[in-house]
Amino acid sequence: MKKLIVSVLLLASLQGFPQENYESPENTRVEMADQLRSSGKIYVVVAVLGTIMAGIILYTVMLDRRVAKLEREPENR
Amino acid sequence: MKSVWWKILCVLLLLYTVVGGFLMDVPRLHILNESIRNTFFHVPMWLGMMTLLLISAIYSVLYLKKPSLRYDVFASEFAKTGILFGVLGVVTGMIWAKFTWTSAWSGDPKQNNAAIALLIYLAYLLLRNSLKDPQQRSRISAVYNILAFSTLIPLLYILPAQTDSLHPGSGGNAAFADIDLDNRLRVVFYPAVIGWTLLGIWLSTIGIRIQNIKNRFDYIKK
Amino acid sequence: MLFSEISGLLKKEITIELRQKYAINGILLYLAGTVFICYLSINLQATQLHPIIWNALYWIILLFTAVNAVAKSFLHESAGLMTYYYTIASGQSIIASKIIYYSLLLTGLAVIGLGFYGLVLGNPVQNPGLFIINIMLGSVGMATTLSLVSSIAAKAQNNQTLLAILGLPLLIPVLLMSIKISKNALDGLPWASSYDELAVLGSIDAIVCALAIILFPYIWRS
Repeated sequence: MKKLIVSVLLLASLQGFPQENYESPENTRVEMADQLRSSGKIYVVVAVLGTIMAGIILYTVMLDRRVAKLEREPENR
Repeated sequence: MKSVWWKILCVLLLLYTVVGGFLMDVPRLHILNESIRNTFFHVPMWLGMMTLLLISAIYSVLYLKKPSLRYDVFASEFAKTGILFGVLGVVTGMIWAKFTWTSAWSGDPKQNNAAIALLIYLAYLLLRNSLKDPQQRSRISAVYNILAFSTLIPLLYILPAQTDSLHPGSGGNAAFADIDLDNRLRVVFYPAVIGWTLLGIWLSTIGIRIQNIKNRFDYIKK
Repeated sequence: MLFSEISGLLKKEITIELRQKYAINGILLYLAGTVFICYLSINLQATQLHPIIWNALYWIILLFTAVNAVAKSFLHESAGLMTYYYTIASGQSIIASKIIYYSLLLTGLAVIGLGFYGLVLGNPVQNPGLFIINIMLGSVGMATTLSLVSSIAAKAQNNQTLLAILGLPLLIPVLLMSIKISKNALDGLPWASSYDELAVLGSIDAIVCALAIILFPYIWRS
């Protein structure tokens, strides 16, 4: 759901969000993904966020399994 | 614990973090380039881990003052999510380092400190597993938890003194210090920290609820 | 009252140690063996060994010797004996006496170890005073942490391994500081340059001792 929103907004931004505020004269030479293209190491951020999502989802699955085990226990004693 | 407002807040903050994190304007720096956006994802893992471990240690202290199983469950579950965030922090740190510092593990103090924290708290889980009697387990592991956390804190001050760090904001790298003060990053960073920490707390509370139910079942079985 | 308890227990530890010579001899043999194995593995003349490696290796050998020496602290005392101690002395005296005893033991072992080490691998220490003070502070830190962890591990099944797993990460701050100061002593740097580190090591010792004395009675009750 989050990813859907992000990708929609990413596509929207391709219409042109010029990044105006530069701090120093050399900045125009620094590679930034001005329109969020793949240059400028944006994929590192994607990898990081992906890892975090994977980790949290795995932990959630682990919790889910614990609940499932409890639900299967014969409770009537 | 069952109230909903902070969970909704957590989701909203994280949504804001992800969207803002990718779209908002960030300082332009060599080497880091766009990956500076990792500040919103990697750094909160570290801060979240320390917060969760602190909460775990506090509950351990509470347990020793007044032995109640409730405190023990809190302590262990918060330690577990603390370990989760620690692992995620170290792994994401390695990914980030591979592309910016050229090697995945460069002997950086923060990396080492996180690794040591993981060793200590994994040992905590091992200790809990090897003690059978519940009361003894709670008491002994509470003692170890306090000892572990108290050892971890000085480590935060010692390790940076050991090596020059590639980590922004410490050692020989002044670049990030300027960025720390950069308001553009702060706008997303502070909410990010709160959001990720709330997520960690949320996962802990789920674990606590599971453990409580399990304890109730065990008690009923007896 | 407390003082007499502590000194009484201390005397008991020392007498037991002197009677059962095999314990001390065992540790000395372990120390000599380890030093010799390291020497053989490095396979260099004494003068060729880089001080950094000399230093690090020395402290690692001390670390493992310490773990072995303190291992028998609680692990090998029978349950009946423990109950007897419980009735005659407060927990704080017991842990205090153990700390004092093991600090002295480890300091002695460190000095003897230095003798063995210097014999085969040279002795480039240029500031012996600082080196000795460092050994003492390091020994106190290691002894305290290991005594407390040993008492924790004694309650669990997996004794010897658990002691190492629990203890080693917790010893890292003490170890790192000691190595740093020791390196300063090797290089013959003036005392002033080590004041910070000595202060940190001293405060770590103080924290761990205080924690041990506070927390031990909780472990003791069983």
